[in-house]
Amino acid sequence: MIAAPLPPQQFWRLTLIGATGFLVVWSVAALSGITSRAFLPAPWDVVTRFGQLLVQPFAGFVLHEHVLSSLKRFGMGFALAVAVGIPLGLLMAWFRWLDRLITPAFEAVRFVAPIAWVPFAALWFGTGIGGPVLIIFMGAFPPVLINTYRGARQVDIKYIEAARMLGASSLRAMTEVLLPAAVPSIVAGLRISAGLGWQSLVGAELIVASSGVGYLMVKGQASVSTATVMCGMLAIGVVGLVIDVVLRRVQLLIEKKRGI
Amino acid sequence: MANIQFQSVQRVFKQNGREFVALKDIDLVVQDREFVAIVGPSGCGKTTCMRMAAGLEHPTGGQVMVANEVVTAPGPDRAVVFQAFALFPWKTVWDNIEFGLKSLDVAPDERKRRITQYIELMGLQGYEQAYPHQLSGGMQQRVAIARAYVLDPKVLLMDEPFGALDAQTRVVMQEELVRLARKNPRTVLFITHAVEEAVYLADRIVVMTRRPGTIREIIDVKSIREAENWDAHTRIEDVMDLPSFVHLRTHVWKLLREQQGEDPH
Amino acid sequence: MAAVLALWHVLTAVTGFISPARFATPHEVGLALRQIAVDGYSNGRLHQHVLRSVLLVTMGFTVAASVGVVLGLAMGASRRVEAVVNPVFLVLRPIPPLAWIPLAIVWLGLGDAAKMMVIFVSAFVPSVINSYTGVRQIDKPIFEAAAMLDVRGWRYWREVLVPGALPSIFTGLRLSLQASWTTLVAAELVGAITGLGQILNQAAQDIYPAMILVGMISVALCGWLMTVALGWIEQRVMPWKAQA
Repeated sequence: MIAAPLPPQQFWRLTLIGATGFLVVWSVAALSGITSRAFLPAPWDVVTRFGQLLVQPFAGFVLHEHVLSSLKRFGMGFALAVAVGIPLGLLMAWFRWLDRLITPAFEAVRFVAPIAWVPFAALWFGTGIGGPVLIIFMGAFPPVLINTYRGARQVDIKYIEAARMLGASSLRAMTEVLLPAAVPSIVAGLRISAGLGWQSLVGAELIVASSGVGYLMVKGQASVSTATVMCGMLAIGVVGLVIDVVLRRVQLLIEKKRGI
Repeated sequence: MANIQFQSVQRVFKQNGREFVALKDIDLVVQDREFVAIVGPSGCGKTTCMRMAAGLEHPTGGQVMVANEVVTAPGPDRAVVFQAFALFPWKTVWDNIEFGLKSLDVAPDERKRRITQYIELMGLQGYEQAYPHQLSGGMQQRVAIARAYVLDPKVLLMDEPFGALDAQTRVVMQEELVRLARKNPRTVLFITHAVEEAVYLADRIVVMTRRPGTIREIIDVKSIREAENWDAHTRIEDVMDLPSFVHLRTHVWKLLREQQGEDPH
Repeated sequence: MAAVLALWHVLTAVTGFISPARFATPHEVGLALRQIAVDGYSNGRLHQHVLRSVLLVTMGFTVAASVGVVLGLAMGASRRVEAVVNPVFLVLRPIPPLAWIPLAIVWLGLGDAAKMMVIFVSAFVPSVINSYTGVRQIDKPIFEAAAMLDVRGWRYWREVLVPGALPSIFTGLRLSLQASWTTLVAAELVGAITGLGQILNQAAQDIYPAMILVGMISVALCGWLMTVALGWIEQRVMPWKAQA
């Protein structure tokens, strides 16, 4: 039966059991000596390593410098996806001929996983910043375009009629009617887009980068330092989470302002 | 001359491969500055008539002309007040009213003057920066009316504008519209299914039949209104008590009742 | 679509606007395709690569989905299970699947085992989440009816929980499949001997744009076909559901 939610005491007790149980199993496995500590670090080893990485450079930079480097690439790719995706989505929603022209090509390319663009990224940009930005763009672009387009197309027809009656030009109709109406959908798309973009970034940095958290992990893997790799994973998870939380607040704020 | 002319207007539409005749042989002239109401049973095509004058729909036969020009597309010269208000939820009251003025390339000072004028006229002072969702239905429709009037349009087209409001608000709005119409006479085509509303507001009433919609009868209200001096009474309930009002209302009711007895097509 | 192909041809072959070092003409892609299908490229012919990749994904996905769906259903059905599993899950969830690749390589080397591990992780999370929400969104009256009819144990699972959660479960499966496929390609790009990702890797190193395109198109096609197959299964399992 779907029982009622657990009383807080029981909830926290079980949560604690789950968390500590996991840590205990992990620690025992690490301490048992089956493998070297470099291979399977104990939980506290990972924590210490994390601290170390904040002060000692590894693979060229300290941890937060790597994170910043990754964020910069992500920011550029994401911004590009938004700058292209939103206007294009609006234009496609307003001008049907454009929709017919672009949609088939878009659908064909969409199915290619962003990571598959790595070879071309490497070919065209080497290890420059263009490579990761391209891959992030490929990951972040589809949700932005799709959500903008859908949001604009689903605008209640009465607003379009009102806009036409009031003599709005195509440009005004798109910017002052379609765009604001589509904002809730666009913002939802931005969250998905940011998530996919961040994931694509990680993939890109495993291969075509010379700095960043992905690069950090690759170097950690090369020197068989599991603790370093895990620190990288932790950093990636945390940053991804923060990005999502921020966008979620933005989404809530906008919904509140609209009276939804 | 800002008149509306329906010349032998027909409207046929296709659904699932079958043809339906929505409107048949509509011939009507709304004179300059005349307030004409169209009443009729649901689905008789009265809203369609208005939308054709607005340019949102087109006749399949005949033509609709406004100010002696054939209507092809919507525009601010034929302002519409929608039943569902259709205010932009993301714009303030002020910006909503201003929207159409920008299309007309009206200078900022003139815009401000006009908007302020209608905000006062419609009793919207203090709400200029409010958003539609913060306003009641009646207030929102006031904004929609202001938005239409501020364009100084050739004709005003109103599609059951008070249909979405509760009964008390409706009455208040009717009184306000009468005041506005007497003060600022314009060519108005007003669609409603509420008979009393039509008798109270209009100069002439067009009664339509069920689908296929044709004109059953056109009733002249203005002459009776002026002869019996309805405007001497400011409150709507006083007007509605007058024998001349009751007589007219009953006449229209009877015409509509006839429609209910007829077989559906 | 035809317009796009025509434009592509014009931009590359006819005008040379896009240089051959950077991209390929449609003709060259056709040639590359023939090469890999007939002669083989990067340690194998096209169907061998495809088979290998598809096989890996199918295996990893099936295992991960089976475990994930069961766990998700259990978490949905029992608050206790949810409370215990949650802390670990919450920590692991934000980590993108691709981020597991270096760890997998450290622990399992550059072979298929590492790939399986990453596929497992990437397919596991969506399965759990969607099965969980699938259970949670079952209408309350259904549970009350089940209680009244005294349905319990195995029957409860088979006839109440699973069918009710099935639409969500399939959404999760679709996401898991896509994730598996993407992760595999990424894993193969990083290090592999055969597989579609490996084609991409090799072609990049050889600076062979036409082959890169063949790889990309193959990846897209396979991914799409697998999704279609899953959709077909979904329709047969849930004939009562109206297709969106």
